[in-house]
Amino acid sequence: MTESVINRIVAERPGLDGNLIVAGLGGRRTMPLAEFHDQARAVAGALRRTGIGEGDRIGVLAANCLEWALLDLAALMIKAQTAGFEPGKFVPSADLVDRYGLDLLFTGATIPEDAPSGARPIAEISAYAREQPAVLDPVRYGPRECTTVKFTSGSTGVPKGLEATVGSIDSSLVAVQDMFKHGPGDNLLVFLPLSLLQQRYWLYSALYWGHDLTITTYQSVFAVMPAVQPTVVMGVPAFFDAAKRHIEGRTGDGLDAATAAAELFGTRIRYLWTGSAPADQATLRFFNDAGLPIFEGYGLNETCIATKNHPGAHREGSVGQPLAGKEIIIDDDGVVCVRGDYPVNTAYTYAAPGESERMFKPGGVVRTGDLGRLDEDGFLYILGRADDVIVLSNGKKIIVRPIETRFRATGAVVECVLFCPNQTELVAVVSPHPGPVDTAAIAQALGAVNAAGEPDERIARVVVADEPFSTGNGLLTSQFKPVRNRIRERYHDRIHDQRQGIHAG
Amino acid sequence: MPADLDTLARHQLSKVLRDGPEPAAIDPDGDLAEAYGLTSLNKILFLTSLCEAADVGLASFTDDDLARMRTLGDVVDALRSHRPERQEPR
Repeated sequence: MTESVINRIVAERPGLDGNLIVAGLGGRRTMPLAEFHDQARAVAGALRRTGIGEGDRIGVLAANCLEWALLDLAALMIKAQTAGFEPGKFVPSADLVDRYGLDLLFTGATIPEDAPSGARPIAEISAYAREQPAVLDPVRYGPRECTTVKFTSGSTGVPKGLEATVGSIDSSLVAVQDMFKHGPGDNLLVFLPLSLLQQRYWLYSALYWGHDLTITTYQSVFAVMPAVQPTVVMGVPAFFDAAKRHIEGRTGDGLDAATAAAELFGTRIRYLWTGSAPADQATLRFFNDAGLPIFEGYGLNETCIATKNHPGAHREGSVGQPLAGKEIIIDDDGVVCVRGDYPVNTAYTYAAPGESERMFKPGGVVRTGDLGRLDEDGFLYILGRADDVIVLSNGKKIIVRPIETRFRATGAVVECVLFCPNQTELVAVVSPHPGPVDTAAIAQALGAVNAAGEPDERIARVVVADEPFSTGNGLLTSQFKPVRNRIRERYHDRIHDQRQGIHAG
Repeated sequence: MPADLDTLARHQLSKVLRDGPEPAAIDPDGDLAEAYGLTSLNKILFLTSLCEAADVGLASFTDDDLARMRTLGDVVDALRSHRPERQEPR
């Protein structure tokens, strides 16, 4: 690998043109990247003044905003680690600070009275940014040093923490740049949470390669796009599905698809990026046909971007070929394993015993748990999940079995199977005890299960099956395991109808 | 195109919802997310379409305003305050 992206963006004020645009429903702010770099240096100086430096860890629990981006670069400048927490999924509590060893926690949330002294409003960063840029001691990262902790769902429901190496970040950025050649004139739009490291990649990319970057939020993205005219949109399947439905609605009003797509995305789109969850092939075709090329990829938190379709190598139905520095191995069980020249890491920093060993194998190999195959040209096709995993539209992966077990354990139902009809909420189909259905008991059990789980594990509704699952009605296997696909088919309408079922309180 | 804001909002919301309910049947006090399954993404699409159809500038609203629009009634009230010059039919 050539020069480290991280080392250069930390050390050098961007020489190329390029702007950071932070946009919301109420307006937008545009700042040259060079000015952003100066402000980050001022923030770094202020952090140093408060005693934060190499080896310390700064938590950030806030929605996407300029301050988030400034903190991230400032932390890099003084070799402090960041730990990004998604709002709504975490609270700025003493437990959070203790559990993840945070020296400071900046948050956009209301800070409770009993919060630790290290919890600060993220708005403080704006004041730091207005100071004179500090003169900082030069820093240099080695490829195995880690800049940040990222969090990923664990089988116990407690997020696992994984520190990401500089080598893995550099390697991914360089490989993606070779594929897509982002540069001046481009405007990459990011709306997924900056707590996800990959969304911050595009900030690093902008600082290094001199393109514009727009940061907005999930709530505002559709209003922001036509105003900022991005050339690239970093999305997930649920986002593109929603966009497709909207464009189809507009074509029903008499517009052609390309015009309706331009009305929503702006007129400058070069390509659309999708990942994090399997995309609907019909959605991909729809955008390609509408003149907006869309490229699907594959990767986990533990592997970073492993494969990606791109303009130079694209095959329908696949998630692309491996990035430079990555190798895909299909093991004897058909499970996709990813080997990286620069692994994200070789173990979790925070995880239940055994979790690291299950995921990380010797030689920089990650066993993903997804089933897949490679074609003769090395394109990867994902066939399903080895475990039963639901991927929410926010990219979070929910392992459903522990939640289903928890519901069964209440005794209110015989079986529980979880579905995620719109990628935003969990819906349970439960097999009741024979005889009259005790709706009150099931509702009470639902409340208890939700109270015991993480926010992402919340079950929104329970659909009570018309009759208990049985081998006779085909909803249990001969080993009396629920047949997930048949249950989904049988109760499809009720699973998808928001009005049906017992709703969580 | 319906002229009054309430009817317009019902039509636009119906178009955004997956099951396309009868506009007149939409409860103005029903929670858009919980009762109608309106996702964050579709909520902004709904507001964008409605603002365009009602000739109200989307820039009149902030992210916080959007968060406060929990029901169809909230949305209609919010938009109404930005087009005071129009007389709605009774």
